[in-house]
Amino acid sequence: MELHQVRYFLAVASTLNFTRAAEHCNVTQPALTKGVQKLEEELGGQLIYRERQLTQLTDLGKEVLPMLDRTLASAEAVQRRAREFRRKEVAPLKIGLAPSISASLVLDPIAEIAKFVPGLQVELREGAAEKLVDLLLEGEINAAMVGDVQDIPARIDDWSLFEERYVVVLAPTHRLANRPSIGIDDLRETVLLERGECDVAPKIQRSYFSEEPPRLGHCSGHDLHLQHMAAAGFGVMLAPEHMPRLPTLKTIPLEGDLVSREVRLLAVQGRRYSPALDAFVKVARLRDWSFEGPDRRGRPHDHDKRAGGQPLPANRSAA
Amino acid sequence: MTTTSAPAANRFQPIDPQPDNSPPMPSQTDKTLARTRAELLTTFTAADWESYNHLVGWLRDTDVASHALKVGDDAPDFLLPDADGRLHSSEQLRRDGPLVLSFFRGGWCPFCTAELCALQAAKDEFESVGATLAVVTPETRNFPRQLKQSLGLDLNVLSDVDYRVAMSYGVVFRVPDETKAHYSGLGFDFGARHGSPVWMLPIPATYVIDAEGRIRSAFVEPDFTIREEPAQILASLRQAASTS
Repeated sequence: MELHQVRYFLAVASTLNFTRAAEHCNVTQPALTKGVQKLEEELGGQLIYRERQLTQLTDLGKEVLPMLDRTLASAEAVQRRAREFRRKEVAPLKIGLAPSISASLVLDPIAEIAKFVPGLQVELREGAAEKLVDLLLEGEINAAMVGDVQDIPARIDDWSLFEERYVVVLAPTHRLANRPSIGIDDLRETVLLERGECDVAPKIQRSYFSEEPPRLGHCSGHDLHLQHMAAAGFGVMLAPEHMPRLPTLKTIPLEGDLVSREVRLLAVQGRRYSPALDAFVKVARLRDWSFEGPDRRGRPHDHDKRAGGQPLPANRSAA
Repeated sequence: MTTTSAPAANRFQPIDPQPDNSPPMPSQTDKTLARTRAELLTTFTAADWESYNHLVGWLRDTDVASHALKVGDDAPDFLLPDADGRLHSSEQLRRDGPLVLSFFRGGWCPFCTAELCALQAAKDEFESVGATLAVVTPETRNFPRQLKQSLGLDLNVLSDVDYRVAMSYGVVFRVPDETKAHYSGLGFDFGARHGSPVWMLPIPATYVIDAEGRIRSAFVEPDFTIREEPAQILASLRQAASTS
């Protein structure tokens, strides 16, 4: 398989017209047709229906399109990086973070790519997952990191990066503060601070509070607000383990690590990847995201348990 | 039902006896990759043989290797993360001397792990002639890290996210449906491993790239059980050094 064949196929896929695709690629139509045919041979089937009036992608064509798109985007990004480097161009990178994802999580990967993308200018935006999906589709942000998310449009690529558990965060003066771990029954009898647009809330509700809802009362969509409320004794909060916490707060694991979620990376399919975005996606997909928690020092996250054959739930990339 | 008799494997290539004829290298591992291969093949089940013959036959029929870059070609540049998410550029890797770049299929493949161990054993020798070694896998997430840990590798394992580099070297193919079914049955989920809905694999290939970015030796083998012997790579490195 060769990159020029991929380029020809993508041109046909976007124009659905061999003549225009050949013009677009600056080659003769026979050359383009031959390249596409060779690619079809290697992919083991037709990619394009060719009928007199109608050029259309086959199912196989539709299946391989996003991946080939990404591959070509990445190839072009490497070339553009060299050019940007020479011209000392500014390289913007806009990343959206769900409220339950701390900026502290992405700064190390960003520092890594800054070594290779000298004009890097990073903008971080916070928003609920659904909002970030809109921003991605509008081109307002290049990538997003979110927790559990319900419906991801097919046009968006998503990769599961790591799994993390939720822990209980409370004031040291709280009556549960001296427990080695806290069970669901304890939570039933205390005030739970409500996280607005919390990505694991539906899961918690379904699993543990299906009969009687938790005692909520105070709420915020902002992690730091909740932390201040917890510190002031307004109740306990559940927080993703990676989230940096106020020094006045105490962290206690949930009994049996009952609540966890997957942190996912989102980017729009088929859009040109800037060199900065290309590098960010690659680093994010390889990085060791495990972190040192207060009581699970260095314990690696077991995202591999299911990798032996079962597709990841809700991960279209793995299906 | 089926007997594990000798394979009807006309595609099956006889083991290359050559490395054993050459004078032994001073610190070469005691076993050649050809010997390891022969041992691994004895563990094949009938289903393994069938899948193996099918895949290698298909690769030869579609002549996938014809796209592979050859000696004298310019080596495409790349920027890839290693197993720990640190980035490496091709320019950087070959700045001070030749780069040995070896594409392998993944930590699930016993022929690959044998090759990686052999490369690990030869790493010091590569470095003693001024070369840098990097191995390239299509696997992402923590798979490369786990592979390094489980084999105790101190190698630069690069992850070819979305197969871009393998494609630019012309050494990647889409896994045919029969092969996909076989590997799925063995519990290998390349979708999860590669983070890609389309299952692609590289053809094992080992390149020596000089400091100017020119390919000085190319070993490309559609039969995934056959790998370049480290002794042969070392010979290529010495030859490249003498002619540069």
